[in-house]
Amino acid sequence: MFDIGVFLNGIVEISKVVPKTLLLAMFILLLALIMGAFIYLIVHYKVPILSQVIVVLQSFLRGTPNVVLLFFMFAALPELLTSITESLGIPFDANKIEPVFIVILTFSISLSVFQSEIIRGAILSVDQGQNEAAHSLGYSFWQTFRKVTLPQALIAAFPDIMNSLLVIIKGLSLAYLFTVIDILGQAKLLGGFTQRYLEAFAAAAIIYWVLCVLLTKIANKIEFKMREGFN
Amino acid sequence: MDVAYMIEIFPKLIMTLPITLLIIVVSAIFGLLLSIGVTYLRLKKLIIIGPILETYVSFMRSTPILIQLFLVFYGLPVLMNSLGFNAGDFGAITSSIIALIIFNGAYLSEILRPAYLSVERGQHEAADSLGYKPIEKFRKVIFPQLAPIALPGLGNAIIYLVHDTSLVFTLGVVDIMGQAKLMLANTYGENKIEMYLAIAIMYWLVCLSSDRIIKLLEHFTYLKRIKRKSKVKKTKVYKESVSIQ
Repeated sequence: MFDIGVFLNGIVEISKVVPKTLLLAMFILLLALIMGAFIYLIVHYKVPILSQVIVVLQSFLRGTPNVVLLFFMFAALPELLTSITESLGIPFDANKIEPVFIVILTFSISLSVFQSEIIRGAILSVDQGQNEAAHSLGYSFWQTFRKVTLPQALIAAFPDIMNSLLVIIKGLSLAYLFTVIDILGQAKLLGGFTQRYLEAFAAAAIIYWVLCVLLTKIANKIEFKMREGFN
Repeated sequence: MDVAYMIEIFPKLIMTLPITLLIIVVSAIFGLLLSIGVTYLRLKKLIIIGPILETYVSFMRSTPILIQLFLVFYGLPVLMNSLGFNAGDFGAITSSIIALIIFNGAYLSEILRPAYLSVERGQHEAADSLGYKPIEKFRKVIFPQLAPIALPGLGNAIIYLVHDTSLVFTLGVVDIMGQAKLMLANTYGENKIEMYLAIAIMYWLVCLSSDRIIKLLEHFTYLKRIKRKSKVKKTKVYKESVSIQ
């Protein structure tokens, strides 16, 4: 039967890993945004071979589940690194890489193509007239970007970026398969420890729920603040 | 990279594809039906059921699918027992299908509800003033306008569903991933890279084909039909028929 005591204890225990999960998710989001910006530039300026590669990669990453991708990276990355370091003659044991790094890398790669779409949409949403106005005021390219395009594009992209953060937090629940302890991983450990899986998972579900609702509320507040200056 | 090995294991992996497809198709159909009911009740704005449904949708959308699978797998037998039914164990496949149906009921209703609300109020009034019955109104006026808006979202949802079915191996279902685990255990974890690459390509193909099906459906919606007609005989198109909003 359902044990309330274990459940409450589970909530306390699991909430200890929430900061770590949040930090991990934000780091992944940041990396994905940086990669996404590069992908946007490659696609926007139609760099010959790379832009075609990215079209295929986009379709591939959209079509493959994150678990498969994670398993693939955990198998392929150490081998790839070993062969590279061996040919360079650097003594380095790739099998000893922390799993966290591979998880971060995989998630940021799989998200980067979606981030590039978000960036593209946000930049397109800025009216062409704004650029012309900045140009007529004698702004240089960088000045236009920094003072006109970026502030407006950031507002347009903000809801989508926050949404990706929630997607990452939920997606990180897969990391327990690779011994990276996030919210679900902690619940699994706790369940094994007390032999009460149901209560532990229920506690984790409540924590995910509260986290997502809170983050959505905060995001709405920030977005409202950001829009204040424009409307 | 051992391409010959990849080709060798491909038939073995395809053998398990029916289980994955079964889970996808059953949970897509019943999830859609559930979401239609949920959307209908949410649009009615009922006093007690309304907030309960909002809570259900918010909970389902903000917890990872993995945890929902575990909750159904471990929790449903306990719930049934406490309600007095001695249902015993549900089995991994049934549990995962139930979990995916419950999830999609909430997720798809978040796609259908905005699509329904995007149909203008005036369209309802016009249909009412022409004396259409509610069912007739929905079939002839609302649905043709709702479908092109909802279809891209539903297409994405199908892709996510395909992704989510890759997680059912955690409950012990022998689908593509489960089969891969078994095969890897037999060969002591050799050729991991080829195995997972083959699986990734397989999921890619499944997603591409479901994308195609949705594109095909979109081809038959009202808006696209008008576009096609206007391309074929440009002179005969009336202006009113294009501006449906």
